[in-house]
Amino acid sequence: MKAYIRGIGQISPQQTFAGDFLENVVAYNTNMMFCIDPVYKEFINPLQLRRMSRTLRMGVTAAKICLLDSGIEMPDAVITGTGFGCIEDTEKFLLAMLNNNEQQLTPTAFMQSTHNTISGQVAIMLKCKEYNSTYVNRGFSFETALLDSLMLIEEGNAHKVLLGGFDENSVNLHVTTERLGHWKKEKINSLQLLESKTPGTISGEGATFFMLTDKEDENNYALLKGFSTLYKPEDEKEVKLHVSDFLKRNNLSAGDIDLVVYGLNGDVRTDDVYYHLRDNLFNQTAGAYFKHLCGDYYTSSAFALWLSANAIKKQVIPESVRLGKAPSGVLKNILIVNHYRDINYSFMLVSQC
Amino acid sequence: MDELIAKLKTQIIEQLNLEGVSPDDISPDDQLFGEGLGLDSIDALELIVLLEKNYGIKIENPAEGKKIFATIRSMAEYITSKGKA
Repeated sequence: MKAYIRGIGQISPQQTFAGDFLENVVAYNTNMMFCIDPVYKEFINPLQLRRMSRTLRMGVTAAKICLLDSGIEMPDAVITGTGFGCIEDTEKFLLAMLNNNEQQLTPTAFMQSTHNTISGQVAIMLKCKEYNSTYVNRGFSFETALLDSLMLIEEGNAHKVLLGGFDENSVNLHVTTERLGHWKKEKINSLQLLESKTPGTISGEGATFFMLTDKEDENNYALLKGFSTLYKPEDEKEVKLHVSDFLKRNNLSAGDIDLVVYGLNGDVRTDDVYYHLRDNLFNQTAGAYFKHLCGDYYTSSAFALWLSANAIKKQVIPESVRLGKAPSGVLKNILIVNHYRDINYSFMLVSQC
Repeated sequence: MDELIAKLKTQIIEQLNLEGVSPDDISPDDQLFGEGLGLDSIDALELIVLLEKNYGIKIENPAEGKKIFATIRSMAEYITSKGKA
Protein backbone atom coordinates (compact mmCIF):
# COMPACT_ATOMS: atom_id res chain seq x y z
CA MET A 1 0.00 0.00 0.00
CA LYS A 2 1.33 3.38 -0.92
CA ALA A 3 0.18 6.93 -1.59
CA TYR A 4 1.67 10.25 -2.54
CA ILE A 5 1.50 13.18 -0.17
CA ARG A 6 0.23 16.12 -2.22
CA GLY A 7 -0.51 18.70 0.46
CA ILE A 8 0.03 19.33 4.15
CA GLY A 9 -1.38 21.63 6.82
CA GLN A 10 -0.35 21.70 10.43
CA ILE A 11 -1.10 23.65 13.61
CA SER A 12 1.38 22.81 16.34
CA PRO A 13 3.33 24.36 19.23
CA GLN A 14 5.72 25.58 16.53
CA GLN A 15 4.94 28.13 13.83
CA THR A 16 4.24 25.41 11.30
CA PHE A 17 1.08 27.00 9.94
CA ALA A 18 3.03 29.82 8.36
CA GLY A 19 5.25 27.66 6.18
CA ASP A 20 8.14 27.78 8.64
CA PHE A 21 10.04 24.49 8.41
CA LEU A 22 11.39 24.65 11.96
CA GLU A 23 13.85 27.40 11.16
CA ASN A 24 12.79 29.43 14.20
CA VAL A 25 11.79 26.93 16.82
CA VAL A 26 10.00 27.97 19.97
CA ALA A 27 11.35 26.70 23.31
CA TYR A 28 9.04 26.10 26.25
CA ASN A 29 9.98 25.91 29.90
CA THR A 30 7.22 23.57 30.94
CA ASN A 31 5.90 20.03 31.07
CA MET A 32 2.92 20.83 28.86
CA MET A 33 2.67 22.46 25.46
CA PHE A 34 -0.09 24.21 23.56
CA CYS A 35 -0.33 25.14 19.90
CA ILE A 36 0.52 28.54 18.51
CA ASP A 37 -2.71 29.89 17.10
CA PRO A 38 -2.81 31.48 13.68
CA VAL A 39 -5.33 34.27 13.06
CA TYR A 40 -8.28 31.93 12.63
CA LYS A 41 -10.44 34.62 11.05
CA GLU A 42 -8.19 34.42 8.01
CA PHE A 43 -9.28 30.82 7.49
CA ILE A 44 -12.77 30.45 8.94
CA ASN A 45 -15.96 32.44 8.47
CA PRO A 46 -16.47 34.53 11.67
CA LEU A 47 -20.05 33.29 12.00
CA GLN A 48 -18.82 29.70 12.16
CA LEU A 49 -15.74 30.60 14.15
CA ARG A 50 -17.57 31.96 17.18
CA ARG A 51 -19.07 28.59 17.97
CA MET A 52 -15.91 26.56 17.44
CA SER A 53 -13.80 25.30 20.29
CA ARG A 54 -10.02 25.56 20.16
CA THR A 55 -9.43 22.09 18.75
CA LEU A 56 -12.11 22.56 16.14
CA ARG A 57 -10.44 25.78 15.02
CA MET A 58 -7.08 24.04 14.91
CA GLY A 59 -8.39 21.06 12.95
CA VAL A 60 -10.48 22.97 10.44
CA THR A 61 -7.66 25.46 9.83
CA ALA A 62 -5.08 22.68 9.35
CA ALA A 63 -7.46 21.01 6.88
CA LYS A 64 -7.95 24.30 5.01
CA ILE A 65 -4.21 24.94 4.79
CA CYS A 66 -3.76 21.39 3.51
CA LEU A 67 -6.46 21.80 0.86
CA LEU A 68 -4.96 25.08 -0.32
CA ASP A 69 -1.48 23.56 -0.35
CA SER A 70 -2.61 20.56 -2.38
CA GLY A 71 -4.61 22.52 -4.93
CA ILE A 72 -7.36 19.92 -4.51
CA GLU A 73 -10.72 21.44 -3.67
CA MET A 74 -12.80 18.33 -3.13
CA PRO A 75 -11.43 15.10 -1.64
CA ASP A 76 -13.00 11.68 -2.22
CA ALA A 77 -12.89 10.98 1.50
CA VAL A 78 -12.24 12.73 4.81
CA ILE A 79 -10.64 10.49 7.43
CA THR A 80 -9.34 11.56 10.82
CA GLY A 81 -7.76 9.95 13.84
CA THR A 82 -7.82 11.27 17.39
CA GLY A 83 -7.09 9.86 20.81
CA PHE A 84 -9.22 12.15 22.93
CA GLY A 85 -11.25 14.04 20.36
CA CYS A 86 -12.64 17.38 21.43
CA ILE A 87 -11.76 16.94 25.08
CA GLU A 88 -12.20 20.58 26.10
CA ASP A 89 -15.84 20.60 24.97
CA THR A 90 -16.36 17.28 26.71
CA GLU A 91 -14.98 18.75 29.92
CA LYS A 92 -17.12 21.86 29.49
CA PHE A 93 -20.28 19.85 28.99
CA LEU A 94 -19.59 17.47 31.88
CA LEU A 95 -18.75 20.35 34.21
CA ALA A 96 -21.99 22.10 33.23
CA MET A 97 -23.88 18.89 34.02
CA LEU A 98 -22.29 18.76 37.44
CA ASN A 99 -22.63 22.44 38.26
CA ASN A 100 -26.23 22.74 37.06
CA ASN A 101 -27.41 19.47 38.51
CA GLU A 102 -28.00 18.05 35.01
CA GLN A 103 -30.34 20.93 34.15
CA GLN A 104 -30.15 23.92 31.78
CA LEU A 105 -27.53 22.39 29.53
CA THR A 106 -26.53 24.29 26.43
CA PRO A 107 -26.22 22.40 23.15
CA THR A 108 -22.99 23.77 21.66
CA ALA A 109 -20.41 22.03 23.85
CA PHE A 110 -22.37 18.78 23.73
CA MET A 111 -22.62 18.85 19.92
CA GLN A 112 -18.93 19.51 19.57
CA SER A 113 -17.76 17.03 22.16
CA THR A 114 -17.96 14.09 19.78
CA HIS A 115 -14.75 12.77 18.28
CA ASN A 116 -15.92 13.17 14.69
CA THR A 117 -16.71 16.88 15.02
CA ILE A 118 -13.71 17.94 12.95
CA SER A 119 -14.16 15.53 10.05
CA GLY A 120 -17.84 16.44 10.04
CA GLN A 121 -17.16 20.16 10.12
CA VAL A 122 -14.64 19.86 7.28
CA ALA A 123 -17.20 17.93 5.22
CA ILE A 124 -19.89 20.56 5.90
CA MET A 125 -17.47 23.33 5.01
CA LEU A 126 -16.59 21.63 1.70
CA LYS A 127 -20.12 20.30 1.10
CA CYS A 128 -18.37 16.96 0.73
CA LYS A 129 -20.83 14.07 0.94
CA GLU A 130 -18.26 11.37 0.35
CA TYR A 131 -16.84 8.80 2.78
CA ASN A 132 -16.24 10.33 6.21
CA SER A 133 -14.77 8.49 9.13
CA THR A 134 -12.99 9.12 12.43
CA TYR A 135 -10.88 6.58 14.28
CA VAL A 136 -10.37 6.65 18.03
CA ASN A 137 -7.81 4.02 18.90
CA ARG A 138 -5.56 5.64 21.47
CA GLY A 139 -1.96 5.47 20.26
CA PHE A 140 -3.06 3.96 16.95
CA SER A 141 -5.68 6.57 16.13
CA PHE A 142 -3.76 8.37 13.38
CA GLU A 143 -2.32 5.06 12.21
CA THR A 144 -5.77 3.51 11.79
CA ALA A 145 -6.97 6.55 9.87
CA LEU A 146 -3.87 6.25 7.69
CA LEU A 147 -4.49 2.55 7.14
CA ASP A 148 -8.07 3.23 6.06
CA SER A 149 -6.87 5.98 3.70
CA LEU A 150 -4.26 3.73 2.11
CA MET A 151 -6.76 0.89 1.72
CA LEU A 152 -9.28 3.19 0.03
CA ILE A 153 -6.59 4.35 -2.40
CA GLU A 154 -5.21 0.83 -2.92
CA GLU A 155 -8.63 -0.55 -3.78
CA GLY A 156 -9.36 2.34 -6.12
CA ASN A 157 -12.31 3.55 -4.05
CA ALA A 158 -10.72 6.96 -3.62
CA HIS A 159 -8.06 8.87 -5.49
CA LYS A 160 -7.57 11.77 -3.12
CA VAL A 161 -8.07 11.41 0.61
CA LEU A 162 -7.94 14.17 3.20
CA LEU A 163 -6.33 12.51 6.19
CA GLY A 164 -5.99 14.17 9.58
CA GLY A 165 -4.62 13.50 13.03
CA PHE A 166 -5.44 15.77 15.94
CA ASP A 167 -5.44 15.93 19.71
CA GLU A 168 -5.73 18.85 22.09
CA ASN A 169 -4.13 19.35 25.45
CA SER A 170 -6.00 20.71 28.44
CA VAL A 171 -5.05 21.51 32.00
CA ASN A 172 -7.60 19.00 33.35
CA LEU A 173 -6.35 16.28 31.04
CA HIS A 174 -2.74 17.03 31.90
CA VAL A 175 -3.38 16.98 35.65
CA THR A 176 -5.36 13.73 35.42
CA THR A 177 -2.79 11.89 33.33
CA GLU A 178 0.03 13.38 35.40
CA ARG A 179 -1.27 11.29 38.30
CA LEU A 180 -0.74 8.25 36.12
CA GLY A 181 2.90 9.22 35.72
CA HIS A 182 2.67 10.23 32.06
CA TRP A 183 4.40 13.59 32.39
CA LYS A 184 7.56 14.92 33.95
CA LYS A 185 7.10 16.31 37.44
CA GLU A 186 9.62 19.06 36.81
CA LYS A 187 9.42 21.83 34.24
CA ILE A 188 12.20 21.59 31.70
CA ASN A 189 13.47 23.47 28.70
CA SER A 190 11.68 21.63 25.90
CA LEU A 191 14.70 21.87 23.60
CA GLN A 192 16.72 19.94 26.19
CA LEU A 193 14.14 17.17 26.47
CA LEU A 194 16.57 14.33 25.81
CA GLU A 195 18.97 15.56 28.46
CA SER A 196 16.44 15.14 31.25
CA LYS A 197 16.95 11.59 32.39
CA THR A 198 13.76 11.42 34.43
CA PRO A 199 10.47 9.55 34.06
CA GLY A 200 7.68 11.08 32.00
CA THR A 201 7.61 13.47 29.09
CA ILE A 202 5.99 16.75 28.02
CA SER A 203 2.30 16.66 27.11
CA GLY A 204 1.53 18.23 23.77
CA GLU A 205 -1.03 18.70 21.06
CA GLY A 206 -1.42 19.33 17.37
CA ALA A 207 -3.60 19.08 14.29
CA THR A 208 -2.08 17.81 11.06
CA PHE A 209 -3.77 17.13 7.74
CA PHE A 210 -2.43 15.46 4.62
CA MET A 211 -3.84 15.16 1.14
CA LEU A 212 -3.02 11.65 -0.03
CA THR A 213 -3.37 10.75 -3.67
CA ASP A 214 -2.58 7.93 -6.06
CA LYS A 215 -1.49 10.35 -8.77
CA GLU A 216 2.11 11.19 -9.51
CA ASP A 217 2.68 14.92 -9.72
CA GLU A 218 5.66 17.20 -9.58
CA ASN A 219 4.06 19.01 -6.63
CA ASN A 220 3.91 15.89 -4.47
CA TYR A 221 5.93 16.10 -1.28
CA ALA A 222 6.88 12.47 -0.98
CA LEU A 223 5.73 8.91 -1.42
CA LEU A 224 4.39 7.12 1.62
CA LYS A 225 5.81 3.80 0.59
CA GLY A 226 5.15 1.53 3.52
CA PHE A 227 3.41 1.44 6.85
CA SER A 228 3.29 -1.01 9.70
CA THR A 229 2.20 -1.20 13.34
CA LEU A 230 3.21 -3.34 16.27
CA TYR A 231 1.24 -3.69 19.50
CA LYS A 232 3.00 -4.19 22.83
CA PRO A 233 6.21 -5.81 21.67
CA GLU A 234 7.87 -8.20 24.08
CA ASP A 235 11.24 -6.47 24.03
CA GLU A 236 13.67 -4.36 21.98
CA LYS A 237 14.70 -7.38 19.91
CA GLU A 238 11.14 -7.87 18.69
CA VAL A 239 11.04 -4.23 17.57
CA LYS A 240 14.34 -4.61 15.73
CA LEU A 241 13.12 -7.78 14.02
CA HIS A 242 9.87 -6.08 13.05
CA VAL A 243 11.75 -3.15 11.51
CA SER A 244 14.07 -5.46 9.57
CA ASP A 245 11.10 -7.42 8.20
CA PHE A 246 9.27 -4.20 7.38
CA LEU A 247 12.23 -2.92 5.38
CA LYS A 248 12.62 -6.28 3.64
CA ARG A 249 8.96 -6.25 2.62
CA ASN A 250 9.67 -2.91 0.97
CA ASN A 251 12.78 -4.26 -0.77
CA LEU A 252 15.07 -2.16 1.39
CA SER A 253 17.75 -2.77 4.00
CA ALA A 254 18.93 -0.60 6.88
CA GLY A 255 21.69 0.78 4.64
CA ASP A 256 19.08 2.22 2.24
CA ILE A 257 17.61 4.45 4.93
CA ASP A 258 19.04 7.97 4.88
CA LEU A 259 17.34 9.21 8.02
CA VAL A 260 15.47 7.63 10.91
CA VAL A 261 12.98 9.85 12.73
CA TYR A 262 12.65 8.54 16.27
CA GLY A 263 9.75 9.29 18.59
CA LEU A 264 12.12 9.95 21.50
CA ASN A 265 10.26 11.78 24.23
CA GLY A 266 12.79 12.03 27.05
CA ASP A 267 11.07 9.42 29.21
CA VAL A 268 13.88 7.46 30.76
CA ARG A 269 11.57 4.44 31.09
CA THR A 270 10.68 4.04 27.43
CA ASP A 271 13.34 5.70 25.25
CA ASP A 272 15.79 2.79 25.37
CA VAL A 273 14.04 0.97 22.57
CA TYR A 274 14.94 3.80 20.19
CA TYR A 275 18.58 3.87 21.28
CA HIS A 276 18.75 0.09 20.94
CA LEU A 277 17.43 0.34 17.40
CA ARG A 278 19.87 3.11 16.57
CA ASP A 279 22.87 1.29 18.03
CA ASN A 280 22.04 -2.12 16.59
CA LEU A 281 20.43 -1.46 13.23
CA PHE A 282 21.00 2.15 12.25
CA ASN A 283 24.41 2.95 13.71
CA GLN A 284 25.52 4.31 10.34
CA THR A 285 22.31 6.22 9.68
CA ALA A 286 21.53 9.81 10.60
CA GLY A 287 18.78 10.32 13.15
CA ALA A 288 16.19 12.93 14.03
CA TYR A 289 13.58 13.43 16.75
CA PHE A 290 10.59 15.71 17.12
CA LYS A 291 8.70 15.47 20.43
CA HIS A 292 10.72 18.29 21.96
CA LEU A 293 8.88 20.51 19.47
CA CYS A 294 5.31 19.28 19.80
CA GLY A 295 5.15 17.29 23.03
CA ASP A 296 3.70 13.80 23.23
CA TYR A 297 0.10 12.96 22.42
CA TYR A 298 -1.81 10.09 20.88
CA THR A 299 -1.50 11.31 17.30
CA SER A 300 2.00 12.80 17.41
CA SER A 301 3.17 10.46 14.64
CA ALA A 302 1.34 12.85 12.29
CA PHE A 303 3.91 15.50 13.26
CA ALA A 304 6.68 13.03 12.35
CA LEU A 305 5.07 12.43 8.95
CA TRP A 306 4.81 16.17 8.41
CA LEU A 307 8.49 16.52 9.28
CA SER A 308 9.59 13.67 7.02
CA ALA A 309 7.53 14.70 4.00
CA ASN A 310 8.89 18.25 4.23
CA ALA A 311 12.45 17.01 4.69
CA ILE A 312 12.17 14.85 1.55
CA LYS A 313 10.62 17.63 -0.53
CA LYS A 314 12.95 20.38 0.66
CA GLN A 315 15.95 18.08 1.04
CA VAL A 316 16.62 19.73 4.38
CA ILE A 317 16.82 18.38 7.89
CA PRO A 318 16.38 21.32 10.28
CA GLU A 319 19.18 21.58 12.80
CA SER A 320 16.65 21.59 15.64
CA VAL A 321 15.61 17.99 14.98
CA ARG A 322 18.97 16.42 14.26
CA LEU A 323 20.15 13.62 16.47
CA GLY A 324 23.86 13.45 15.90
CA LYS A 325 25.36 13.99 12.48
CA ALA A 326 23.42 15.20 9.47
CA PRO A 327 23.11 12.78 6.54
CA SER A 328 25.26 13.37 3.50
CA GLY A 329 23.87 13.13 0.00
CA VAL A 330 20.32 13.02 -1.25
CA LEU A 331 17.51 12.20 1.18
CA LYS A 332 15.75 9.32 -0.53
CA ASN A 333 14.27 7.22 2.23
CA ILE A 334 13.15 8.24 5.72
CA LEU A 335 11.94 5.76 8.28
CA ILE A 336 9.70 6.98 11.10
CA VAL A 337 9.77 4.88 14.25
CA ASN A 338 7.36 5.98 16.94
CA HIS A 339 5.66 4.50 19.94
CA TYR A 340 3.10 5.76 22.40
CA ARG A 341 3.93 4.72 25.96
CA ASP A 342 5.67 1.55 24.81
CA ILE A 343 2.31 0.16 23.71
CA ASN A 344 1.48 1.37 20.22
CA TYR A 345 4.40 1.18 17.80
CA SER A 346 4.20 2.51 14.27
CA PHE A 347 6.63 2.53 11.37
CA MET A 348 6.31 4.64 8.24
CA LEU A 349 8.53 4.67 5.21
CA VAL A 350 8.62 7.99 3.40
CA SER A 351 10.48 8.12 0.10
CA GLN A 352 11.39 10.54 -2.61
CA CYS A 353 8.86 10.54 -5.47
CA MET B 1 -36.05 48.48 30.86
CA ASP B 2 -32.85 50.10 29.54
CA GLU B 3 -30.85 48.48 32.30
CA LEU B 4 -32.31 45.06 31.48
CA ILE B 5 -31.61 45.54 27.77
CA ALA B 6 -27.98 46.40 28.49
CA LYS B 7 -27.67 43.34 30.73
CA LEU B 8 -29.24 41.08 28.09
CA LYS B 9 -26.85 42.36 25.43
CA THR B 10 -23.84 41.44 27.55
CA GLN B 11 -25.28 38.04 28.44
CA ILE B 12 -26.09 37.22 24.82
CA ILE B 13 -22.63 38.27 23.60
CA GLU B 14 -21.06 36.08 26.26
CA GLN B 15 -23.35 33.07 25.87
CA LEU B 16 -23.20 33.03 22.08
CA ASN B 17 -19.51 33.95 21.97
CA LEU B 18 -20.13 36.82 19.56
CA GLU B 19 -16.49 37.68 18.99
CA GLY B 20 -15.77 41.24 17.97
CA VAL B 21 -19.32 42.38 18.82
CA SER B 22 -19.80 44.96 21.58
CA PRO B 23 -23.11 45.86 23.29
CA ASP B 24 -23.11 49.17 21.39
CA ASP B 25 -23.11 47.29 18.07
CA ILE B 26 -26.50 45.77 18.83
CA SER B 27 -29.62 47.85 18.68
CA PRO B 28 -32.44 46.61 20.96
CA ASP B 29 -34.69 46.51 17.92
CA ASP B 30 -32.36 44.54 15.63
CA GLN B 31 -33.74 41.20 14.52
CA LEU B 32 -31.83 38.49 16.34
CA PHE B 33 -32.44 35.86 13.68
CA GLY B 34 -32.11 36.08 9.92
CA GLU B 35 -31.05 39.45 8.58
CA GLY B 36 -30.12 41.16 11.86
CA LEU B 37 -27.65 39.46 14.11
CA GLY B 38 -27.76 36.31 11.99
CA LEU B 39 -28.42 33.86 14.79
CA ASP B 40 -29.57 30.31 14.03
CA SER B 41 -31.50 27.44 15.61
CA ILE B 42 -28.63 26.40 17.89
CA ASP B 43 -28.45 29.95 19.19
CA ALA B 44 -32.20 29.74 19.85
CA LEU B 45 -31.56 26.80 22.16
CA GLU B 46 -28.79 28.75 23.88
CA LEU B 47 -31.18 31.68 24.42
CA ILE B 48 -33.85 29.39 25.90
CA VAL B 49 -31.26 28.11 28.39
CA LEU B 50 -30.11 31.68 29.07
CA LEU B 51 -33.66 32.72 30.04
CA GLU B 52 -34.09 29.68 32.24
CA LYS B 53 -30.73 29.92 33.93
CA ASN B 54 -30.53 33.67 34.50
CA TYR B 55 -34.18 34.61 34.91
CA GLY B 56 -35.89 31.39 35.95
CA ILE B 57 -38.24 31.54 32.98
CA LYS B 58 -39.22 28.37 31.13
CA ILE B 59 -40.71 28.73 27.68
CA GLU B 60 -43.66 26.35 27.94
CA ASN B 61 -45.21 27.09 24.56
CA PRO B 62 -42.69 26.76 21.67
CA ALA B 63 -44.96 28.84 19.43
CA GLU B 64 -44.25 31.84 21.67
CA GLY B 65 -40.54 31.56 20.97
CA LYS B 66 -40.56 33.39 17.65
CA LYS B 67 -42.18 36.41 19.23
CA ILE B 68 -40.14 36.41 22.43
CA PHE B 69 -36.78 36.06 20.67
CA ALA B 70 -37.49 38.47 17.83
CA THR B 71 -35.36 41.27 19.31
CA ILE B 72 -33.57 42.08 22.53
CA ARG B 73 -36.38 44.49 23.37
CA SER B 74 -39.00 41.76 22.95
CA MET B 75 -36.95 39.51 25.23
CA ALA B 76 -36.69 42.26 27.85
CA GLU B 77 -40.46 42.92 27.63
CA TYR B 78 -41.19 39.24 28.11
CA ILE B 79 -38.91 39.01 31.13
CA THR B 80 -40.53 42.12 32.61
CA SER B 81 -44.02 40.74 31.97
CA LYS B 82 -43.09 37.65 33.96
CA GLY B 83 -41.90 39.85 36.84
CA LYS B 84 -38.36 38.52 36.62
CA ALA B 85 -36.48 41.65 35.62
